[in-house]
Formats: sequence, structure tokens, C-alpha cells
Amino acid sequence: MNPVSHENTKIRVTDLSFFYREREVLKKVNVGFAESKITALIGPSGAGKSTFLITLNRLWESIPEARMTGKVEIKFSGMYRDIYEKSFPLPTLRRRVGMVFQTPNPLPMSIYRNVAFPLKLAGEKDRKIISQKVEEALDRAYLWDEVKDRLNEDAINLSGGQQQRLCIARALVMEPEVLLLDEPTSSLDDSAGRVIEDLILSLKEKLTILVVSHYLEQVKRLADKSIRFSEGSVIN
Amino acid sequence: MKMLDRVVIAFSWISAVIIVGAVCAIFGHIILNGAGTIKLSLIFGDVAPLDALLLKRQVLNGLFPAVIGTLLLILISVMWAVPLGLGTGIYLAEYAGAISKKIFNLFFDILAGIPSIVIGLFGFALAIFLHKNVSNNIGPCLLISSMALAFLVLPYIIRTTQVALEELPREMRLTALALGATRLQNIRHVLLPRALSGITTGVILAIGRCAEDTAVILLTGVVAMAGIPHSLMGSYEALPFYIYYISSQYTSPEELLTGYGASLILLVLCIGLFSAAFLIQKRLTYITLYRA
Repeated sequence: MNPVSHENTKIRVTDLSFFYREREVLKKVNVGFAESKITALIGPSGAGKSTFLITLNRLWESIPEARMTGKVEIKFSGMYRDIYEKSFPLPTLRRRVGMVFQTPNPLPMSIYRNVAFPLKLAGEKDRKIISQKVEEALDRAYLWDEVKDRLNEDAINLSGGQQQRLCIARALVMEPEVLLLDEPTSSLDDSAGRVIEDLILSLKEKLTILVVSHYLEQVKRLADKSIRFSEGSVIN
Repeated sequence: MKMLDRVVIAFSWISAVIIVGAVCAIFGHIILNGAGTIKLSLIFGDVAPLDALLLKRQVLNGLFPAVIGTLLLILISVMWAVPLGLGTGIYLAEYAGAISKKIFNLFFDILAGIPSIVIGLFGFALAIFLHKNVSNNIGPCLLISSMALAFLVLPYIIRTTQVALEELPREMRLTALALGATRLQNIRHVLLPRALSGITTGVILAIGRCAEDTAVILLTGVVAMAGIPHSLMGSYEALPFYIYYISSQYTSPEELLTGYGASLILLVLCIGLFSAAFLIQKRLTYITLYRA
């Protein structure tokens, strides 16, 4: 099966298998994702959806006893790059492929410093540029108006929905090309979840978005396409 | 079954009461006997306090040199032990493979179990070795004592650093990595600041141990009369040694009471240092995590 080779394919995954200890979590997955579209990853718990997401930013490499085979290519500035190539720097990859987790995970620091944090990691020193980019990211994440007067407050004081939008802003501040969302609304109430959904929709023009979701309604509202996982395989 | 429950609960209560009682008894005993002796003259003898503090005149019949000696000893020992212990703890928690971790853990457990008199003996042997082979001017001194003490307290700092880092939840470890942090940036900006309060516990334990240990310094440079140490190579006085010396050599009941006075001063000194360590930790946490 040739997964995808359209012109607008952003991510190409070939024969990807993933093992945790001796258990095969993903079995020879072949799949492609279109640029500037929202693709929903659906399927029962334990089918390998979240694991699949972290093969796209290589985050699994920080988890002990995990192993992967296969190939992942992402089109950066018009060229497909094998993200597992030795010469591909990990921090660069993770700046271009942002990720938001199921439970909001603001770092225990101020709202401002949370969003500025990735810039600081990337070595940005110019305070003007930092504050401008922080404002832009918070604005894109529908959060600026709510926090502009309390930027130096501890991020822990925000509500759950605000924290999750903060995490999205933090992922956006490096202007990634791909955004991975692992059940971004499952820890929130309905109205907070809806705000996040609107936000995600507003982002897709510039971003290729993959979202793991358990809610059929949400998938209908958000996704241009959905891919079903079952026992470690993709079924169409 | 109910009977057994009651016995366990009663035993737990009694244990707690005994320990709290013992601590109170120790403090009470020291304060009752020592408080009366606490006068400026106990510390400064017949020298004016300001002259002593500015090192204008030497204090010959007061505890001032011992206070300064103990303070210097603690600070220098902790200065050696903290960077080494932090580095080792970080290595064990973040970098070491499963096998090397097992080996090192065993090694540091053994190190933690070495009696202080043995470490003192080793420091003494080192001083003799240096005296014979490097320079006649080297002998038991503040430098050797502080190095031996650092060795004694290293396991505390290593272990607390390692445990504080390993206890951090996996989500927290992955957060910064997912944002493009290198391993080192993750440790520097997220993991270490979060582990700081745990690490401080280790530093406080280390300070306490350096303040009280007598066996190590007995063999590596402390003397009864030395005045304020002039250099790292000089011998020095220390409070725990004074307490030990007075309690075995006192010639009058009044002299014995000054031993209690010295104990009280040592306690206050430790409380001061613990508070300082705690405040530094708060300040560092604030600077690394919250400062705008």
C-alpha cells in the first residue's frame, strides 16, 4: 500500500513499528498527513495513538525501554527530511513540531516566562523580540485579553482551560509547522473545550494539525480527515 | 485483631512521645546549664567585642576563635562537598546507565557507612604524606580537615540530589524536551530548580554533620589554643572540640558549665546556618523560576 504521495503531503510515515519493552505498540504503520489540514486520530484506548504522536517529534527517545523502526519524513521548506537522520538536530525538530499534552502542563513559573521559555531555550536574548512574540502567541491562543494584566502571576493560578491555552501558546511561540495535540480537551469541561476547539480551527491555515480525540462530536467539528487506530495498526 | 491494632497504635504513640521527650530533655539540659554562662565574656574574654570582630586584638580566654574556626570549617567543607555532590547526584539520576548506577549506588552506600574516625585517620595519613613528600610546612590543618569532612558528608548531598531528581514526574521531564530543550537545558531550567528543596535538605544535613563532627577534626588539625586561623594551612579551634576537651579536662564546675555554653552557641550557630540555607533555596527557586 502506497500511503500518500500527494503534493500537499506534509508528513510521510513508512513501515513504522514501535516497541515498549517486548510489546509491539505500533505495527508497520504507513500513513500520510496533508498540509494545513486537521487530521483526527481516533480509536480505542491503548491502540497506539498517543505513542504514534511522539514518534513524530522523537519524544519517545526520552522514555526508557522504548524502541522504534521505520521512517518518518516531514516536509520542511519544500523538502522532505528524514527526522531520524543523525544530522537532524533534536531541538530544531521539536521547535518545528510542537506538542500539547492531555493534561495542561504549564511549568511552575509565571505566565510570561512559560510562553517565553522556548525562546529562551533557543537562545533568544532580545527582550523586545521576546515580549512581542509572547504577545503574538498568547493572542493566537485566545488568551492575551485574559492575561495581559497578570503576566507575572504564577501560571498555576490559571483555570484548566486557560492553562491548556497557555500550553498551546507556548507551543506556538516558536512558530512550528506541525502541531501535535494529544486529547487536548479531555481534562476540561465542555465550554472550556469548545474554546480550545475554536482555537484549533483558527490555526489550521498555517499549521498541519494532528489531534488525538475520543469524542466523535469533536472529531466531526474539527477534523478534515480521520484515521482510525486499532491494536497498533491503521485501518481505513 | 482489634487488640493488635491497639498495641500498634499505642506503640507508635509511645515511640513518638519518647523521641520528642528525649529531644526536649537534651535541649532543656543544655539551656538550663548553659544559659547562665552566656555572656559576652564567654565569647570574647576580656577583649572588647568590636576589637575582636575587627581582628584588632586576639581573644585568648574566650570562645571567639572556636566560633570562627567552626564557621570557616563548615563553609569550606560545604564549598567542596556541594559542587561534587551535586555533580555526582545529577550524573546518577540523569546520565548513568543501569549497571553503572548499581555500582555507584553500592559504592556511595559504603562511603556513607565509613566511621568518621576512619576518615579522620585517612586525612591524618594524607597530611603526613604531604608533609614528607611535598613540603615541611604542610601538616594537619584547616584545608585537610575541610577536605576530610567534605568526604564525610558527600553521600548525603549525592543521595538527596539523586532522589530529588528521580522523584520528579515523567510529565515534567518531558515538558521542556517537547519544547526543544536539550538534556542539559532541561536539567538546568526545569529539573534542578524543582529539585532544589530536596537538595537543600541534603545540604542542611551536611552542615549539621560538619558542625558536630569531632573525630575527623581531632586527627586533622584542630587544637585547643590556636586563635583565629590565619590560612588554610594553619591549625584552628572548633566548638565541638572545645566541648569534648572541656568535658574531659575540666578543673572546676564553672569550667564545665562553659562547655554547656559552647554547646548552646553551637546549636544557635547551626540554626542560623540552616535558616541561611533555607533562605538561599527560596531565593534561588524564585530567581530560576519566577523572576520576570
